[in-house]
Amino acid sequence: MKFRVERDALADAVAWAARALPSRPPVPVLAGLLLEADEVGVLRLSSFDYEVSARVEVPAEVIDAGTALVSGKLLADISRSLPSKPVDVTTDGSKVSVTCGSGRFTLLTMPVEEYPTLPVMPDASGTVAGDIFTQAVGQVSIAASRDETLPILTGIRCEIEGDQITLLATDRYRLAMRTLPWHPGDPGQSSVALVRARTLSDVAKALGTSADVTLALTTGGATEMIGFEAGGRRTTSLLVEGDYPKVRALFPDTVATYALVGTQALTDAVKRVALVAERNTPVRLTFTEGLLTLEAGQGEDAQASEAVESTLVGDELSIAFNPQFLLDGLGALNSPLVRLSFTQPTKPAVLSPQTDPEGSDDSSYRYLLMPVRIAG
Amino acid sequence: MRLVIARCSVDYAGRLTAHLPLANRLLMVKADGSVLVHSDGGSYKPLNWMSPPAKLTVGKPDETAAEVGVTEVWTVQSAKTDDRLIVNLHEVLHDSNHELGVDPGLVKDGVEAHLQKLLAEQVNRLGDGWQLVRREYMTAIGPVDLLVKDASGGSVAVEIKRRGEIDGVEQLTRYLELMNRDPLLSPVAGIYAAQEIKPQARVLAEDRGIRCVILDYNEMRGLDDVETRLF
Repeated sequence: MKFRVERDALADAVAWAARALPSRPPVPVLAGLLLEADEVGVLRLSSFDYEVSARVEVPAEVIDAGTALVSGKLLADISRSLPSKPVDVTTDGSKVSVTCGSGRFTLLTMPVEEYPTLPVMPDASGTVAGDIFTQAVGQVSIAASRDETLPILTGIRCEIEGDQITLLATDRYRLAMRTLPWHPGDPGQSSVALVRARTLSDVAKALGTSADVTLALTTGGATEMIGFEAGGRRTTSLLVEGDYPKVRALFPDTVATYALVGTQALTDAVKRVALVAERNTPVRLTFTEGLLTLEAGQGEDAQASEAVESTLVGDELSIAFNPQFLLDGLGALNSPLVRLSFTQPTKPAVLSPQTDPEGSDDSSYRYLLMPVRIAG
Repeated sequence: MRLVIARCSVDYAGRLTAHLPLANRLLMVKADGSVLVHSDGGSYKPLNWMSPPAKLTVGKPDETAAEVGVTEVWTVQSAKTDDRLIVNLHEVLHDSNHELGVDPGLVKDGVEAHLQKLLAEQVNRLGDGWQLVRREYMTAIGPVDLLVKDASGGSVAVEIKRRGEIDGVEQLTRYLELMNRDPLLSPVAGIYAAQEIKPQARVLAEDRGIRCVILDYNEMRGLDDVETRLF
């Protein structure tokens, strides 16, 4: 195998493919990155850990076609540090040499025949705009659980219904839901997939720069899988198994009180006031006509309070939240105003984005947050 | 157990030398021969100590020492090495002796046994339609924590730990190998259940086809506070 490739193209491609490398490979070959050079001038890089696979194709000047399996981490570190010059890669017996400028690296290879076959990309189900996809996944993934006790909640539930995708994630303390439009191949499509949140947010960040991301989903078969493809990069992941709890019903049907606050002003104020909130203590929000007062700390401890302008519709109310959970929600809104909707101080509150102070909120994103009970 | 609170200075001589200047300290003389010098801080850690076997001799100070105010000199000689702990007491503020008797030892709170009992009662946590066959299912090399049947009637051996380390996986692997030789049970699948599973242990278990399950002890024993959560 012998080929020449541009440094930036190689570094990007290796970084993408290296994402699926397992951190603790049970079999040494899984730590490898498979390089395949094709006569037609295409270099293909692949990685696979039996759950997630990644594959990318980049144009290369192929002199001799061939394949090689080298340490993915090492190749990623090397390609990232190379100077901006063309990179020559050649196999030499059981070694691969990488030459760039006057620098030269020799890497050991692993037996290609022991490398598992990558899963076949499922048939395309439709496409979604890259920027919207990245934003939506970012908004939802913050609420996904990182606790392996309930593996189901470490996933993001994707519900596909016609030309809409709904993403849902919850860790039982908050719940984020986002609906986004997409272009299904079959307009009558209706399916559900549960994808590990870490995998999905990695993919969304990496593919978000592309105009269109192709989604491919197979459910109901022996192996349930989801695939993403954009700009020559593709990745597949097994779905998380299990029944997702019926969480949509947690959103309150009616709203007794709602308040409108500037998102940035509230975020800054919560950050400041939360400085005195010790571990596991809440920030208290008191809504009165025209004013929202934030307080944290009580009794003997350090205390802080700050007031922010707000518009209140309904009865005055006092409620307390975990400051980090509140900040996560505020950070995900991407809107100048936040609408906080309440039923009771002990019942979950809904955060939703709003742009026009006189208008209504944007229903495509909702962040449901459980309040903390205030003693006394 | 003899407790002495005294103004003293302490020297350690032997493999390493250390000096504690004059101050008020607690001296613990234990029945096993050990002597520990504690300050009012540093939690369980003494400032200096002599491990057993050791012998404590109480002597008179020599003239130069007596002139600076030393009233008593304790020499704690290690029986195994040449190490010595020398305590120069200037003033004894408290001296008491207590007979503590034989200590029953530390009893772990029995979480592992309790987890086994709870999981035996709540087998459906492992899967719908699963049933318990027996707790402490006996094999030739020891008992398996739980033997259960999955929804389709297949045998599953469950090993329960508080902290899932790599040796627990080895233990379960040995049981599985033996149980799979039994034509009445075979094929036997394995589940490694713990409150926390170390990443190395998880990789090894999953590589051997053993499923890992994290147990929430508080939730299993009904101490879960649902009120603070959405559901």
